[in-house]
Amino acid sequence: MAVYKQTYKDYSGTRTTPWFRFFILSRYSYARLFKSKFLVLFLAVCMFYPLGCAVFIYLSHNIPLLTALRLRSGAMPPIDGEFFNVYCVVQGALAFLLTTLVGPSLVAPDLANGAMSLYLSRPFSRTQYVAGKMTILLLLLSVITWIPGIVLYLIQAGCAGWDWARVHAWLAGSIVLGLWIWIVVLSLIALALSAWVKWKIAAGALILGVFFAGAGFGVAINNVTRTHYGAFIDLMQVVRTIWSDLFRNGSSADLSVTEAWTVLGVTCGLCLWLLARRIRAFEVVK
Amino acid sequence: MKNDLITLDNVSRFYGEVLGVNRVTLSMPPGITSLVGPNGAGKTTIMNLVTGLIRPTRGRIRVLGLSPTQSHKLFGLVGYATQFDAFPKGLSGFQFIYSFLRLFGYSNAECKRLANKVIEQVGLSDAAGRKVAGYSKGMRQRIRLAQALAHDPRVLILDEPLNGLDPLVRAETINLFRRYATEGRHVLVSSHVLHEVDMISDQVVLMSGGYVVAEGQIQSVRSEIQERPVKILIHCKQPSLLASKAFEQDHVVEAQLLTEGSGVLITTRDADRFYRLLNHLALSGIDIEGVTPADDNVNSVYDYLIGGEEKMSP
Amino acid sequence: MMKLWYGQIVSVVRLEMKKTFFSKRGLWVYLLAFAPVVLYMVHSVYATRQRQHLAQLATEHPISQAAFNGIKTGLSRDQVVAKLGEPYWQRTRYHHGGNGKKRSFVFYRYTDGKNDVSYHFEDNKLTWIHRRDPDTLPKSQLIFATSFQFYFLRLAIFFGCVGIFVNLFRGEMLDKSLHFYMLTPMRREVLLAGKYFAGLLATVVIFTSSTALQWWAMLWQFERGVIVDFLAGPGWIQFGAYLSVTALACVGYGSIFLAVGLLFSNPIIPTAVVLLWESANPFLPPLLKKTSMIYYLQSLCPVTAPPDKNMPPLINLLISPTEPATTLTAVTCIVLLTLLVLVLASRLARKLEINYGTD
Repeated sequence: MAVYKQTYKDYSGTRTTPWFRFFILSRYSYARLFKSKFLVLFLAVCMFYPLGCAVFIYLSHNIPLLTALRLRSGAMPPIDGEFFNVYCVVQGALAFLLTTLVGPSLVAPDLANGAMSLYLSRPFSRTQYVAGKMTILLLLLSVITWIPGIVLYLIQAGCAGWDWARVHAWLAGSIVLGLWIWIVVLSLIALALSAWVKWKIAAGALILGVFFAGAGFGVAINNVTRTHYGAFIDLMQVVRTIWSDLFRNGSSADLSVTEAWTVLGVTCGLCLWLLARRIRAFEVVK
Repeated sequence: MKNDLITLDNVSRFYGEVLGVNRVTLSMPPGITSLVGPNGAGKTTIMNLVTGLIRPTRGRIRVLGLSPTQSHKLFGLVGYATQFDAFPKGLSGFQFIYSFLRLFGYSNAECKRLANKVIEQVGLSDAAGRKVAGYSKGMRQRIRLAQALAHDPRVLILDEPLNGLDPLVRAETINLFRRYATEGRHVLVSSHVLHEVDMISDQVVLMSGGYVVAEGQIQSVRSEIQERPVKILIHCKQPSLLASKAFEQDHVVEAQLLTEGSGVLITTRDADRFYRLLNHLALSGIDIEGVTPADDNVNSVYDYLIGGEEKMSP
Repeated sequence: MMKLWYGQIVSVVRLEMKKTFFSKRGLWVYLLAFAPVVLYMVHSVYATRQRQHLAQLATEHPISQAAFNGIKTGLSRDQVVAKLGEPYWQRTRYHHGGNGKKRSFVFYRYTDGKNDVSYHFEDNKLTWIHRRDPDTLPKSQLIFATSFQFYFLRLAIFFGCVGIFVNLFRGEMLDKSLHFYMLTPMRREVLLAGKYFAGLLATVVIFTSSTALQWWAMLWQFERGVIVDFLAGPGWIQFGAYLSVTALACVGYGSIFLAVGLLFSNPIIPTAVVLLWESANPFLPPLLKKTSMIYYLQSLCPVTAPPDKNMPPLINLLISPTEPATTLTAVTCIVLLTLLVLVLASRLARKLEINYGTD
């Protein structure tokens, strides 16, 4: 009878909770991303507009300074829904550019180099993989979108007083919701396209294409058919329609708010379907 | 300068601040030359430099009198099987060999003939119609070899060519290298499987950390290393006596009695003087049954050189 | 030597053909190129059916032009129905205002057999009249010019060239398979030329086919006589001009993106810069306009596209009008720019190293 000495011992130390394991991907990716000087510079540039807005808010409440500048406080544009809507448009555009810069390199290289089997042969699920990769974008985009947006709201609340903050609490909700919608859509599109073409350059071109060519083709549809159906594939216009509604501004958009929400829902669904099809541990070569 | 040599003259290559190879001077005659070293030693960098895939930061390289920058002339003479395990997408084994042969300017019929011939040579005839992407690791290695051999080059450069091959194909491939060498061609191979290199090489170049640490025939490399202690195994009936006699010599640094009492393992800094001592001891009555150099292969030379370097480094 | 180079170029084109034409990751290029064809086809089918439908409605329920002219805003629904009869299509919507009051919005549609007229009533009062004229060839030509210049040239061909030409070098570097070309006795310049022609062949075939199909799909809705008259006039020249502009766009953008693929490890940043530069063209001062490809391409288009109606007036003010370049100047500039970029790219290719680890 063979007798074996039982020397094997399983790892008994603490493990990362499965719920937060996806953060591991984000941590390592940030370390890699922030090596790029261009990205750091771009992030700094993204803060210019919020900084300008903060200065504007401060100025519009500084009566002595306005008097010194011979400006009436009433002459300054109000800090209202429209102000924050414009903020969303500007920072939303920058968020799109940042997605184009960062998004393509998240999934495509893993798929192209056969790394999926390495990830998924560990106690790490496909959902955790997608969540981890998506978190990278979500956090990065949050830094330039809703976080400074909320800071602006708080500055305005601080300057205008508690009453203003109470009456305009909905603005804070609109900023967070409006920009979260946008960054979720951007992240999903970036991941899905990156997974679909498995090549970061093509993915980058595709992300640019989906938005620019989508908008262009939308206009072509409107021109040729003399309808407004083209607005359905212009994602920028779709989200602007939702922002206008959230910030209670009148909109001259070609589609209703319900239609806009539907388009975003369908887009997210398509992206999730693509991700579910592409993020797999194996690939069959025919 | 003779035109049948591959020469590197004080060649250095840096990747930014990272050293690829430094001050390498080599002259490789026809025959099998092996580049040996651990990962990161600079073997692939040397091969890429010789084939012009990368350029030296400084120094001069000539392949049969040609500069590697003259790729349009060079690759008529040179076949290179790289270590990159990637292939153009969507091609079968035959299409891969055939398509790239077309770039050599051969006719359609000649390309087909050469492609079929080389595919047969590497034993891939049955899989020639299948997509390369579906090949096993060994098959991919063989199709890379076929791509390097297809145009019947005078200089064959192969980066880790025996990796992933099964023993039979490995033996056939080694025979092929030998045949090429006997025809007066250059075969430059890199490997870290030292016993294979030991068996097939006419010349070895030992590399470590981007430097050439030794080059030449294995025996001559060894003899060049004056300070290296040599291990000699002596089978005799009076090992203790032999050990004590040996220790009287200043060049003997260690004597280790074999556990079964059948002999002694002597470590000496001067093998010639020790062999003369052995003759003297044999004549004086010690019954010596056999003398075997215990480490006269590239592995031990390599271990010594690299190990010595590691010890030297802080 | 020339024969060898020619043979090598042909071989490179053959090798690249699969990648440029049939690669799965390149399917989106076809989508970009042929989406407008589908659009024109669908519209032509719809317009033809609609024309027949309106003619039939007018036969069943004729309305005089004088009756239409008598309808003014402010009339009630009953007054409109009294003058024109029952509409052939109607829809009613109700909205609750902020004060809890229910408001009705009613849409009526009538036709005289050719035109479609919509009436919009708010709370029973006619507030808005929209007359949709039938498609005419001159109008369709303008629509074609607009979509060709603002969508097809600026976006579809642009992104198509990005997808195909950048892939030629950078794609193979990422796939770690470019070195196989470098291991053949072929000059790097010949390799560059081969790859450029491969990309050019693919883009020219894909995009000129699309232009041709769009053109015919646009014409398809019109009666045979109208088409014959048009072709006897400026039709064929316009058709040829659009095809040439498409091919020249591939020539020009192709060279730029081939060089971008060679030079930049992340070509998206330069692509975005070129895209912004080309998009900003209408707002650039005349001298800078001439440094963009789109200026010369638009100069060669046979029909001038009308400005965007939806552009905000403030932005409209920023547009700087410039005389288009002459045909000879435009073609010469595009060809010269292409040659210059290719010469620079060939110098880059000569110095190209296989160093996959850094990509």
